[in-house]
Amino acid sequence: MISYTIRRILVLIPTLLIITFLVFLGLELTPGDAVSYMVSPDALANISQESLEQLRDSLGLNDPFIVRYFKWIREVLKGDFGYSLSSGVPISEIVFDRLPATLELSIAALLISTFLGSILGIVSALKKGSVVDNILTFFGMIGVSIPQFFFGLVAILIFSLRLGWLPVGGRLLPGHKAFLDTLPYLVLPSLVLGLTMTAGVMRYARGSMLDALNKEYVRTARSKGLPEWRVKLIHGLRVALSPIIVLIGFRLPMLIGGSVVIEQIFQWPGIGREFVAAVRFQNTPLVMMIALLFVLAMLISSILIDLFIAMLDPRIRLE
Amino acid sequence: MENLKKTKLDKKMDIIKKKEEAGLLVNKSQNRALRRFLNNRLAVIGLIIFTIILLATIFAPIICKYSPQRIDMLNRLLPPSSEHIFGTDKIGRDVFARILYGGRVSIFVGVGSALGAAIIGVLIGSYAGYKGGLIDKIFMRISEIMMSFPQIVLVLLIVSIVGQSLWNLIVIFILTGWGSIYRMTRAKILSIREEEYVLALKAFGLNDIIICYKHMLPNALGPVLINITLSTAMFILQEAALSFLGLGVPLNISTWGNILNVAQDISVLRENWWIWLPTGSVISIFVLSVNFIGDGLRDSLDPTQQG
Repeated sequence: MISYTIRRILVLIPTLLIITFLVFLGLELTPGDAVSYMVSPDALANISQESLEQLRDSLGLNDPFIVRYFKWIREVLKGDFGYSLSSGVPISEIVFDRLPATLELSIAALLISTFLGSILGIVSALKKGSVVDNILTFFGMIGVSIPQFFFGLVAILIFSLRLGWLPVGGRLLPGHKAFLDTLPYLVLPSLVLGLTMTAGVMRYARGSMLDALNKEYVRTARSKGLPEWRVKLIHGLRVALSPIIVLIGFRLPMLIGGSVVIEQIFQWPGIGREFVAAVRFQNTPLVMMIALLFVLAMLISSILIDLFIAMLDPRIRLE
Repeated sequence: MENLKKTKLDKKMDIIKKKEEAGLLVNKSQNRALRRFLNNRLAVIGLIIFTIILLATIFAPIICKYSPQRIDMLNRLLPPSSEHIFGTDKIGRDVFARILYGGRVSIFVGVGSALGAAIIGVLIGSYAGYKGGLIDKIFMRISEIMMSFPQIVLVLLIVSIVGQSLWNLIVIFILTGWGSIYRMTRAKILSIREEEYVLALKAFGLNDIIICYKHMLPNALGPVLINITLSTAMFILQEAALSFLGLGVPLNISTWGNILNVAQDISVLRENWWIWLPTGSVISIFVLSVNFIGDGLRDSLDPTQQG
């Protein structure tokens, strides 16, 4: 298991090197002086031409490209992501500021789509071919066809503007801190994000359950004379559930993509919204660093999934 | 033997025999995939809706007398009426006309990007799958890197570097979208490569390119067709989302996403539902029809996928 883990991580290194290289290339190609995002704007405010040159030299901006690339990686590993072009705030500060909001929304949406999706998918598999199955499949299709933001707009119109049950957007009123205060703000965005992801989970859960029910040991259980509900729920479900857990990781790209859009409509102060704003104002350093973080999250989760699968199925480790 | 009573099964057999002799059955069994597709009710409904919306956007000038660009400051924000079926927007443009003409661009972006991505993916994927070796490794690595970005993030990233325009968006969609079709074609070709007929063709001394594109590729086209439909749906949704955020097609060109852009304004959202609700519904119905077609294709071309 340990050697598998190490191998899995080693495979990742070339990919990471290329991606960081591309990000660095993007930063280099940004019009304007690289000093502007490497040094805090306060320090740049009253600087003479001479000391600017000295600064460039000490920052290594006159070094060859490859040297600068490795120096930059060293800084990033130390947690120094540079400065945002528009506000002059360190990018790491922006990210840590926004991260909790995004995590809160993502976890809520993950929970909603996992529970709802696996329950509906299993019901649909148990009643295969019935009216319930067909209706659920149909709703699943609608779920993947409606634009996420349109679904969000309709939800805002109905529940916030017409019925007035929930706030239109935002996360916290000034002065509020507790989780209970955010809860009403969290309901709509997490439901919209969660429900749009439910369709995929449902489809997967249905397939996985049907698969499990066709296995030999289920037939064995049935031939032992066990009651049908025991066969299905205990023997079928237990095996069907483990791939569903794996699916949590596969939903990460959807989650990130979804949060970019959903955070925008609900004015949710997370990383996705910051990303859209940065793209809009061509704030390249911020765009690049946030994209790099998203990619890191994806790569790490793909490793975790692989390790998890390897834990469940020892055959994979030997490959 | 003559007077042996005929069973039900015998009678059925007789009918089939008669039909066969009359040459009626031959026609019917010619295209199994097409027949299966036409038997799928949802797929046919999808195809009909798709055709209706597509024709409506193509023949927009006949259906709607307004131009999507005509600004009419006297008739701003009119609710739906017999004059303006879906009312008018903030600067007096007819919303119905904008939906029809916007559909042209949105469908073009969706179908065009999906076809472009498919052409690149299939061309590279079948050759890399067939030849293997260094080419295969290089393209595999490139697609791996592309796919480690969440797609919308990669699209936005490139938009922020190259700027916004209609053609930029299509090129970006193609660049970020070819990976999945490439991987699929490659996997399919890899499995076909082991078949005997390929060996036979090689033994005949046929050119690699002819074996690959003329003899192997047609057998891999089923999944490609399904993938094109599904990625059309995905690109239309993405264009809508990007334009809604104001980062897709420039606002002076009507697209479905651009019409919805104004709904970011809370007062439009509350008071002027006719601008965004019909538009969003048209997108949803259109994408739904494309997904139905894709599902129908999957069921008829690839029986192993049936749930």
